[in-house]
Order: sequence, then C-alpha cells, then structure tokens
Amino acid sequence: MLRRILLLAGLAGLIGFGVFWWLTIPATVAASALPAYQPNLANGLTTFNAGGCSSCHAVPKQDDRTRLGGGLAIPSPFGTFYAPNISPDPNDGIGRWSEADFVTAVMKGTSPSGTHYFPAFPYTSYQHARVNDVRDLFAYLKTLPPVAGKVRDHDVPFPFNIRRDVGVWKFLFMDGKPFIADASRSSHWYRGAYLVNSFGHCAECHSPRNFLGGIVSSQRFAGGPNPEGEGWVPNITPRGIADWSAKDIAYFLESGQTPDGDSAGGSMVRVIRNTSQLSPSDRDAIADYIKSLPPVDGPPKPTRKADKTDPS
Amino acid sequence: MFRTGIVAATLLLGVGVVAAAEDQVALTQTAMKSNLKNAIVLYDMTKGKTTYDQTAVDAALVGLEDVAKRFPSFFPESIKDKRPKGDYYASTKVWTQRADFEAHAATFAKVVGEAKTKVKDLDSLKTEFTAINDACLGCHETYRVKAH
Repeated sequence: MLRRILLLAGLAGLIGFGVFWWLTIPATVAASALPAYQPNLANGLTTFNAGGCSSCHAVPKQDDRTRLGGGLAIPSPFGTFYAPNISPDPNDGIGRWSEADFVTAVMKGTSPSGTHYFPAFPYTSYQHARVNDVRDLFAYLKTLPPVAGKVRDHDVPFPFNIRRDVGVWKFLFMDGKPFIADASRSSHWYRGAYLVNSFGHCAECHSPRNFLGGIVSSQRFAGGPNPEGEGWVPNITPRGIADWSAKDIAYFLESGQTPDGDSAGGSMVRVIRNTSQLSPSDRDAIADYIKSLPPVDGPPKPTRKADKTDPS
Repeated sequence: MFRTGIVAATLLLGVGVVAAAEDQVALTQTAMKSNLKNAIVLYDMTKGKTTYDQTAVDAALVGLEDVAKRFPSFFPESIKDKRPKGDYYASTKVWTQRADFEAHAATFAKVVGEAKTKVKDLDSLKTEFTAINDACLGCHETYRVKAH
C-alpha cells in the first residue's frame, strides 16, 4: 500500500515537474523566421528614443545617451537589477549577437544562451513591437560606440533568482498576443497606441502591480506606488489628468513642463529625455491616445506620513 | 528644585529644536513654492498666455535668484525625513548624496544668473527659460519625490 502511494506521489511529482519544465521553456525567434531585410537606421533611432533604451542602459552619471555600457541599479521589491551592457562591444555587450538573438531578447525576453530575462526588462511591452522596428533598432545600436566593461550580476535573493520560474511569470503576465488596432480609430491614434503600449512601455510604471509583480490589468495606466522605491507614480487616465489637454500632454513630453508650470520629477525626467527626441507628430499621437484612455481609479493612496510630524 | 529646572529646561530645548525643524520644513516648502510661482510667470509668457513684460521677468528672476543662491541652506540636516503637507517631499538622497545635490543647486544659481543678464525679449526668455527648466528637471529627477 505504502509503496503504491509513494509510487503515485513520485509519478505525480514527475508529471508536475514535466508540466513545469514544458511551461517554462524560454521562447525564441528562429533566424529562419526573419526574411531578408534592409534595415532603416532613421527608424532605428526613433525606436531607440521611443523605447527609452538609454534611460536604463546608458552609463550612469555621464551625458552621452549613446554609451550603452549599462550599470544603472534598478531597485524593485524583488531585489536590485543592474542594467546590462547593450553596446556593440563584442565581449561585454551585444557585439556578437545575431539579429535573431536580439529579436528574441526584446520580444520574448529570452537571452542568447536560452535563459529567461527578468521582467525588469520590459519585454511584456516590447512583445507588441513590430519585428521590423526591432530589426531597425538592432541595426541602429550597431552604429553606436562599443563600451567595454561587464556589468555586475543582479542582486536578487532566493527564490526570485531562479530564472526558470520567470517562465511561470511569463505564462501568467505575458499574453503573447500581437497588438491589435482599433479599426474605428485614425492611423494617428493607432500610432500613439502602438508607441505607448510597445516601445514606450508607459504602463510598466504607470500601473499598479500585484504581489507577484504582474501589472493589474484592470488598473492599467491608473498609477500606483513607485515600483523603483519611494513615492507615487501618477494616474494618467482621465481620473488623474482630466484637466490636461492633448496639447498639454504633448508639450509635457517635449519639455517636461506641466500645464500648471511645474516640472516633471523622478524617472519621468529620464523618459522626457527620450520623448523630447521624438517627432512632434509622434508626441501628438501619444497624447491623442493617452487622452482616449478610459477613466480608471488607481489603488488607494497612502495616508500622509507628514501628519505625524505636523505640529498643527 | 534645581534638578526640576534642568529637566524643564532640557525638555523646552527639545521642544524648541523640534519646532525649529517644523518651521524649517515650512520655510523650505515656501521657498520651493516661490520658485514655482516665479517659474509660472516666465512659463506663461513663453506659452503666450501673458504678454512679455520685462519688469515682471526681472522680478521673477530676482525671486528665483534669491532662493537659488542659498538653495542648499534650505535643506539642512535637521529636516531630513521630515515631510511637509502637499504633493512632494525631499528624498533622503538630498543628504546622502550631498555633493551631487549641491552641484545641482549651483547649476540652478548659474542658469538663473545667466538669465538675468541675457533675457531681453521673448525669444531670449524662451531660450533661458528652457535652461532654467532643465535645471529644475535635473534636480527633481533624483531629489524630489511625489508623495501620492
């Protein structure tokens, strides 16, 4: 009897492990899936700016946005990530990567050695990109200066450091569906929707996350606690910025100035260094799309700690 | 009696120190709000919401310079971790990365000083205001936290 139970338990464990293993196989894009293509470097630059690559991958504490040696610390509730070197350096960067390696990394979140990247790299948004935009980006990155120096390992404690488990996370929070156009909208609006939801990866910070670090999809764009640490990320649905016109949003993305004359702060400053480089038409398209978001209430805001120290 | 006096004096001193810190928090917030008020005067002109007015520009720049010149003094160690009411508070990095913070403050003072000598018309205001705004952004990126 006991033997039989043990046997059954062992079998169930084996099947469970098999399912886990199958479920968490890192997805890849085969080189054969990429037909011959002449990349467009100008569009690669647009993609680079829309994607905000340099916000994380540029070497910190220097002004050259094209030195992508990495090293920026990205704190999170699961540990601290260190943005890797994505300069064309053959040893420390992506100089030896094939185009299929790059497309796989950006759109599937899988490294050239076949392991899952942590979702601090916003592939849940980048998966919605058009393959040719990603190929243009790869060609553009290849034109940038190689930067030597390997970035240190992530500082992520057990159990979050088990890469294979990221496969389960992807199963839960990465839908793999292509970005679908709303046929009733203009191509201008569609361009904005595309930029915001793919390369722009706005929702990655402007949405609350659940305890596993997945975006709460019903509260997409409704803001929440800053995933990188202290403070609060604003709600960018009409519940948060109803009094901003599309023109206000576009001007904010260009200059960092809010309609009431204040300035952007926090990580948004880095975002504006990217969006200020986009074409006015792309900024307008983003603004049009943001204005069209449905009003959604975000998570409850924290009670002010200041009241504790307030003398009144 | 003597001992009671000492204890009372110590307590009062403690209250005084706390109250001074609270006053400083309020003073710092007032300084930042003064910056915002002056920036809005310039911003509204660059956006064509108001017409260009050299007197108003000069007054706003003098106001900005007044705060900019003694900017680090608005953030003494005594108000670390003290948060004012309102939308924003200062990150503790103001104190843990002091040299960098003070470099930002120096940039702010420098661009305002340059604006004072250079702004003669709307076009020069637009150029100089961009520089001032970039200084705001550069510092707020790291040192201002949105509370809620």
